[in-house]
Amino acid sequence: MTTPDGWLLDVTESEDGRSVVLWVKDRRTERVRRTAVEYRPPFGVAGPRADLERLARHLAALPVVERVELGSGRPSLFDRRPRPVLSVTPTVNSGRRALARTVDALGGYETFTLYDVDLSPPQLYHLTHGLYPFAPVVGSGAHLTATEPPETIDYATPPLRLAPFEVRLAGERRGRIPPLDARLGSVRLGSTTLDGPEEDLLRALVGELARSDPDLLLTQGGDSFDLPWLYRRAAACGLSPREFVLGREEVGFAPTRQARSFESYGRVLYRSATFPLPGRFHIDRENSFLYDDAEVAGLVDAARLSRLSLQTVVRQSPGTCFTAMEMAHALALGAHVPWKKNRPEGFRRADRLVAADRGGVIFLPPVGVHGGIDEFDFASLYPHIMVRKNLSAETLECRCCPKSPIRAPGLGYRSCTRRVGLIPRTLAPLLARRLAYKAALKRPGIPREEAEGLKRRVRMLKWILVTAFGYQGYRNARFGRIECHEAINAYARELLASLVPAAEASGYSVVHGIVDSLWLRPIDPAHPPDPEVFARQMSERFDLPLGYEGRYDWIVFLPAVTHGLGVPNRYYGLYGDGEFKLRGIGGRRHDTTTLVRRFESEVLALFRTARDAEGVRALLPRALARADRFAERVRAGAWPVDELLVSHRVGQAPEAFVTFTDSVAALRQLAEAGASRGAGEVVRFVLLDRRSRSFRHRVRVAELLEGDERYDVDAYLELLARDAETLLAPFGVDRASLLARWHAADAPARSPYRSAEARAQLALDDARDPERTLFASDPVGLE
Amino acid sequence: MGRTAPTYRQALEERMKRWDEFARLLTTPEDRAAFEMVRTGARRYAAQATYVGSPDLLEAILLSVLTDLAVRLRSGPTGTAPR
Repeated sequence: MTTPDGWLLDVTESEDGRSVVLWVKDRRTERVRRTAVEYRPPFGVAGPRADLERLARHLAALPVVERVELGSGRPSLFDRRPRPVLSVTPTVNSGRRALARTVDALGGYETFTLYDVDLSPPQLYHLTHGLYPFAPVVGSGAHLTATEPPETIDYATPPLRLAPFEVRLAGERRGRIPPLDARLGSVRLGSTTLDGPEEDLLRALVGELARSDPDLLLTQGGDSFDLPWLYRRAAACGLSPREFVLGREEVGFAPTRQARSFESYGRVLYRSATFPLPGRFHIDRENSFLYDDAEVAGLVDAARLSRLSLQTVVRQSPGTCFTAMEMAHALALGAHVPWKKNRPEGFRRADRLVAADRGGVIFLPPVGVHGGIDEFDFASLYPHIMVRKNLSAETLECRCCPKSPIRAPGLGYRSCTRRVGLIPRTLAPLLARRLAYKAALKRPGIPREEAEGLKRRVRMLKWILVTAFGYQGYRNARFGRIECHEAINAYARELLASLVPAAEASGYSVVHGIVDSLWLRPIDPAHPPDPEVFARQMSERFDLPLGYEGRYDWIVFLPAVTHGLGVPNRYYGLYGDGEFKLRGIGGRRHDTTTLVRRFESEVLALFRTARDAEGVRALLPRALARADRFAERVRAGAWPVDELLVSHRVGQAPEAFVTFTDSVAALRQLAEAGASRGAGEVVRFVLLDRRSRSFRHRVRVAELLEGDERYDVDAYLELLARDAETLLAPFGVDRASLLARWHAADAPARSPYRSAEARAQLALDDARDPERTLFASDPVGLE
Repeated sequence: MGRTAPTYRQALEERMKRWDEFARLLTTPEDRAAFEMVRTGARRYAAQATYVGSPDLLEAILLSVLTDLAVRLRSGPTGTAPR
């Protein structure tokens, strides 16, 4: 392999709008060179020839248009024959979207289909020049050649200099609300801490950045705190953007993207403003969904494959990466990326819709504790189905294969047998890559650092693969198609249904199943089947990789509080190797108090000693004794308040709330202290008096916590009881009886949380025998 | 998210709300206990009912209820009621 001269770290847009900037790290000096290259990519317009000709004449006269050229091509993946395409180059890159909107409007939003509009110039530069982020390159200036393709699995990551970066204000504690005129106290960059008078400090920081020249600044809240404060203070000290440069190129002090709230999967989330530092990367751990999982190794991998800057990857969702990878494959096929998806769902009969629009198989697990259960999971099931069944928008129900034998079960959708679809093309290398990394991880004697990097890449790929399926059904996904989404589900349902008899024939009965996971119990405990053999046989039989996750010594499936039947994804269990698997219980939730987390870990530590279902049952009185001890300390008012902080993600703008809730009280308290929060941000507070109508007395926000507050005992007993109920409900423990036992005062005589059927049965028993004792049937002896 | 038809589970819970009206006029504890038993039965086989994929919600519910009752019948009166 050729020794590279250096690595292409990033391509950024330059401010003049006519070029892009290449940032190359020299292999010998480890310095980063900046090269500006003239680059204005065109976008494509397809439509009837006469309309395109008229459009070309019209556009040629506009000052915002540099060039128009009428040619021909096959811009869509559905195109079998070439058709006329107009290539339009705007005068400046920042004018692309505005010009595209004009063209779309001129065509009445239906005559023209536009291509490649919203690919960024850096992204297009990579794709049209055979380059990608972190590519090892030879050559100089603008003449760079990558020495290996981006898909290379065994590659060397360039030596990136990473520096933790943190700003502290004079006399303020981090996390508290600072006064608006607070001055800088100190700045930490890597292992250096700078302080002194503010203006000197700011200049010293610029000097230190130039000296140590880090490639990547790592902050905790840099987008919302460190960078805006630095810029604000720099402006207050009279420094100009030319003097105060944090990147490798001068930029204005304002953010390029404003803070915003948005909705994802029913949750309102918040993203801070972003302050890019051209030539350097800035990772804000609080403003990145992926960093904690993927770290630099995973992000570099995703950047290489998606051709998106690390700066973009770290701030976007894995779906953005996947879409960019699809775009790269589409362009490689000679196609282009449609700007707006122009593929409405076809009309069909209601019964067909009902049959098609279904998810995977999800059983209701049997509530209670079960011993000796084997768990099996399909690895990346949905991506594998997409690849095996060639599921892609343009290969489903294609015209060329009316007799295709690949048909979605129950729905009949055909898959093309002549060409490989874009989605399988994109996914297959990702699946192979993930497998290769996993295999490399098993290599004996692999250095720890390398293993850590590989694990991060595996996790990043997992996120991208998970998104790949969801994006088939997402209405805005460029290459998505709802029928693909349906077909994938249909294949997956068929698979799980076939596994039920297959498992039984192998000596297992199905206890529980969720889409791609199975929990099986040996039918004859004296002669359990060999799980590894079973997994291998099923993988071969269904041509999909079924893996053996492990045997549970015991597993507890938890009930829904409303109807008492099992909840598919709420359980905890102990594998034979001593590892817990926890799903849907309090400690896994982000809004849980430390109090509840501590209680859970104590109960789980206790249950860890149980080797089977009977052992767990035998430990129940001791678990309840723990709950009592916790309750006692809470009642005594002795629990440290910082362990009682409740977190709440604000679901709407503060002024939109109509009822007075804990969160509203917290928001008002923050507003009074001069700190406003928007929808999607998190507020943290201690409950002081839940019945209070005063926002000052009801809660105390974390930012104003003194440490000697008196908390609302009843509210925390309630939280504790609710969590104990979650964990222990299958053993007959419920919230109301716990509360009755702890403070008797106004606790309801009987649990309102039993299932409707159990309550109706209790009422019937009462009617028959009013004298019967309340907890007579209680297996744990709460009395 | 992005679904056109409600899931079986959603449709079932919608129907359950309608059944509340039926339950309101049940006058004895025996009737109410029996009714809640039926309701549990409706929910118990949600996975299987989804798999049927029938446009007839009631068909799916009935299969679930009948199977549940048959199981209880075969395993005795205290059968498989949830807490």
